[in-house]
Amino acid sequence: MAEMWITMGPQHPMTHGLWTLRVKVDGETVTDTEAELGYIHRGVEKICEARDFTQITPYCDRLCYVSAMTWAHSYIMAAEDLLEAEVPERAEYIRLMAAEVQRLASHLMWLGAFGPDIGNLTLMTWCLRDREMFLDLLQELGGSRMHYNYPRVGGVKRDIPIGWADRMKAKVKLFENRINEYEMLLDESTIWLVRLQGVGYATAEDQLNAGVTGPNIRAAGVNTDARWTNPYSVYDQVDWEPAVEKPTSVKGADCYDRYRVRMEEMRQSCRMLLDAIEKIPGGANTHYQPGDEMILTKAPTRAPEGATGFSTYECTRGVSNFYIQGGGDGRGKNPYRLSIRSPMFITIPYVAKTMIGYKIADIPAIMGSFDPCIGETDR
Amino acid sequence: MTEMGTTVTKEQNAEAAKAAADNLNARFSDAGVSTDVVAHKGGMKYDFVRITCSPDQWIGVAKHLKHELGVNHCAMVTGTHYPSGDDGRGWEVAYHMHRWPITNVKAHTMIVHEGEKLKGDDIPMEFEIFIPLPAGDSPSVPSIQDLWEGADWNEKETWDLVGIDFEGHVNMHRVLNPHDSPVGFHPLQRQHKIRYHDYNEMYDDPQGFGRKPVDEGRVK
Amino acid sequence: MNDWLGLHDFIYYRTREAANFLLEDTFLEASANDIAFFVFTLVTCLITFGGIMGSMFMILWIERKFYARVNDRRGATTALRSLWVGENGVTAGEWWNMVPFGLGKPIGAINGWLNKVAGNSGHTHEMVNRVGNRSWYGVTIFPGFFQNLADGMKFLIKEHMVPNRADKVIFELAPFLVISSTIMILGMVPLSSGIYGANPELSVLFAFAIFGIAPLGVFFAGWSSNNKYTLLGGIRSAAQLTAYEIPLLLSILGVCIMAGSFNFLEIIHFQHSSGTWLFFLMPLGAVLFLVSMIAEVERIPFDMPEAEAELVEGWWTEYGGMRFGLLFAAEYMRVYAASILFAHFFMGGWHAPFAGTIGSIPYLGAAWLAIPGVIWTLLKAWFIFTVVFVWARTALPRIRTDQILEFGWRMLLPLAVLQVAIAIVYRLYFFDAGAISDTIAGGWAWDLTIQGFTIPWGLPIVTTLFWAGLFWVLMKDENIEENEERMYHIRTMTPAGTHTAGKE
Repeated sequence: MAEMWITMGPQHPMTHGLWTLRVKVDGETVTDTEAELGYIHRGVEKICEARDFTQITPYCDRLCYVSAMTWAHSYIMAAEDLLEAEVPERAEYIRLMAAEVQRLASHLMWLGAFGPDIGNLTLMTWCLRDREMFLDLLQELGGSRMHYNYPRVGGVKRDIPIGWADRMKAKVKLFENRINEYEMLLDESTIWLVRLQGVGYATAEDQLNAGVTGPNIRAAGVNTDARWTNPYSVYDQVDWEPAVEKPTSVKGADCYDRYRVRMEEMRQSCRMLLDAIEKIPGGANTHYQPGDEMILTKAPTRAPEGATGFSTYECTRGVSNFYIQGGGDGRGKNPYRLSIRSPMFITIPYVAKTMIGYKIADIPAIMGSFDPCIGETDR
Repeated sequence: MTEMGTTVTKEQNAEAAKAAADNLNARFSDAGVSTDVVAHKGGMKYDFVRITCSPDQWIGVAKHLKHELGVNHCAMVTGTHYPSGDDGRGWEVAYHMHRWPITNVKAHTMIVHEGEKLKGDDIPMEFEIFIPLPAGDSPSVPSIQDLWEGADWNEKETWDLVGIDFEGHVNMHRVLNPHDSPVGFHPLQRQHKIRYHDYNEMYDDPQGFGRKPVDEGRVK
Repeated sequence: MNDWLGLHDFIYYRTREAANFLLEDTFLEASANDIAFFVFTLVTCLITFGGIMGSMFMILWIERKFYARVNDRRGATTALRSLWVGENGVTAGEWWNMVPFGLGKPIGAINGWLNKVAGNSGHTHEMVNRVGNRSWYGVTIFPGFFQNLADGMKFLIKEHMVPNRADKVIFELAPFLVISSTIMILGMVPLSSGIYGANPELSVLFAFAIFGIAPLGVFFAGWSSNNKYTLLGGIRSAAQLTAYEIPLLLSILGVCIMAGSFNFLEIIHFQHSSGTWLFFLMPLGAVLFLVSMIAEVERIPFDMPEAEAELVEGWWTEYGGMRFGLLFAAEYMRVYAASILFAHFFMGGWHAPFAGTIGSIPYLGAAWLAIPGVIWTLLKAWFIFTVVFVWARTALPRIRTDQILEFGWRMLLPLAVLQVAIAIVYRLYFFDAGAISDTIAGGWAWDLTIQGFTIPWGLPIVTTLFWAGLFWVLMKDENIEENEERMYHIRTMTPAGTHTAGKE
């Protein structure tokens, strides 16, 4: 039978963003794929050469808009490496909590898009409903629901508001019960299992060689997580474990494993949040004014030529790196070169290869289970 | 993490960085490849290994990293353009790589590493490799596409944005810029200035402090 | 047992009288009866179609509201919860206090207990309020009911586009095939013994013959749009609908064998007069019918042909305006027809449940029996729609096409054949023709006699218990240790909610 190329995208309900996946199909079976990215390439790396270090933070929020806090944190870590800035411990705790709340919101967004891809439209409403709770928390920190511009070189912009801790604890406790509800809806549904199990195998070594990191690798049975292998912030003082899932086959992790890993990660994030709020120095219900030493130290604003900084950070979708060279315009006020590694940029072509041999109907299952976000892919 | 599985400690990290650097120096220092242990200056101030080599030695170093030192993740390939290359350096390619203890597991099993118990080559490590290139119009570096698949699209992006050629790279094509971009157009080279149009132009200097009399009547 | 509301005969005789009266002494006198017949057919068809289409708004409304409740758009986690939890403490008011003689007190107690056990308190209150736990606003009759009418009218004003290189004739023809075949069925399907469009002797056969034309229309639509997506959707649809026609028809064959007739009215009459709904005599057939029908009308979990995530509406993609509206309406009409058919085949049609038992209670019985049969039909159809079609749609994801086909051919087809065999055996050996009855109370034709001991309604009871038990046994999880490779499998690694990394 003749094979034909089908173009999925750039406008397509499945693609979770703006990119094209061209698949060559023989009947219903995929025989070849080609991924085309770059539709929302905004030239962030070039723009950042004309901005100073505080001005770059909002750009980093807009890289992966679903997971803005983690990207801003990743950038700020690299900038602090470059500028040799110290960060007070309270600010580290606040950043950790913000990142973990963001991780919850991001995973909920993932699940809320993944469910309808498989066909379960109820999940979208449920997940977005619960994500609202966390967006409210982040709004209290950063001022808006999506792009927060929250961390600063040397700390955070403003302290957690009074009462944030209580609200956060109540919401996290409510949410922990809700995760059980989601699992009841999904894990006890034969159809869900039948769609996700046995589909989209990927082994850990293969993935790492191809540059795929994060929950996708942990679904393949190894608990590698940049939060403990390349430790940063105060993750070593907070009570948590990396979520890892046993793959069911020697061929690697299937879509079901990746889904389970993210559910477990949500539980771990909840655990981290409840623990961090107890341990935060200065107390959970004190509020320091913006600029106070407890949350922000005065950091140098210029980086000499020849200085470099880079960060390895566990974003929600994988490991992200920023590499910044100092010595740009304004006698070092701007970076000379800012380079961003996006986990999804590498993952999407890899996933396009993984899909070969499966059916068209498996494409949203496989692609969704790797959790793409095009904002960070195209920068 | 207080209960189970702990983080990698500074001592482990320092020891692993030193071991890797010694290994590389023993092998490559007479070929002119310099390896240092450098500490991060922000955050937890961990050590990492920084290598500076020339394009000719790059493949040898890369293979040594992969096979002897167990570097399994090619994270980032960055190209930079230095038009005013004072020290003879007109371009530079920076590779950032990681080593993580990852092995395929049998079905229904998993590996739970505990950071403090890792030894030797299992200890995670970051590697930074600088390859300075002389000034000129055709900077070129051998491709490591066949060693790490993760380098594939990273190299495509570097060529697309910065213009550095990767010898031996199969199927090089534009990834972020449109496919029909002009040949030789690589936006991150310094001669391409960021242009602003209309309102954007006002962002840089909204109150017009930088305007000169000759700018009278122009937006920018 | 005929329903007291016999509109069919009533209209027949009145039109004859009227025609004969009006056309007396005119040149049309000889053909007065024929004209009467024409008018009569027109009127009954209008009543039947009008009744079904009008009550279809109820279907659309139920779907929207029930779906929303499960999705938690109006109401809390377990959708019923919003009935006792208000918004910011505002509830429907403590109406139970106004019931005389303190009879409302138990209701108040129940409400209080529910609020204590599953209400909102403290921070939960403001949180769930924030995410949409709103109570019932105001008092309007059926809020949102006419939304669907407005939606339908919207389709009328939208543009009708034909793709440039589409096969124009077929492209225009396809929606008509689908919608007209759907509507034609409604002519055969009676709403009660006295309300139907036509009642040929083989009405079931005819209805399902027409039902089977729709796959052809779907395939035409998919092919003619000149679009790879619609082609895929059309082919998937053709394969799926063909695959599920067979278990569907076989399960209906089982019904007809049991009832001894291919006529709707007689099947329903049989259920009443033999003493039991066919659901209890052939639960396997009922389930097969429902599953096959869900696949035939292409609803989730079988809506792969129009799977939004991959095919963006599948074979419907290129249709705009009222053609899309008609296809959309056709889908809901097929669902409605499926529900009504289930009510007729397996739930006793227009007969009131427990007519004999309840009917003999002094005043309540008369009231019970005075409810016209058409109401019973509609209630049963709406019930099945809600419980099966809408609930399955909210809770289940889609099944992949090849899995759907495998399921249809390899699992449903043998079961359907099994059901036919069982139906034959039951009818031949266990049916007591002498106990068929024409009274309100019905008969006891399915008594089971074992060793001289007769169990009234034995066969339905035994059958239901057997299949329910088998279902329960099959639902228990299989042994996890077997089977290293998880192919299409139906078990979880851990029970929901107890998975901890690093701990197993």
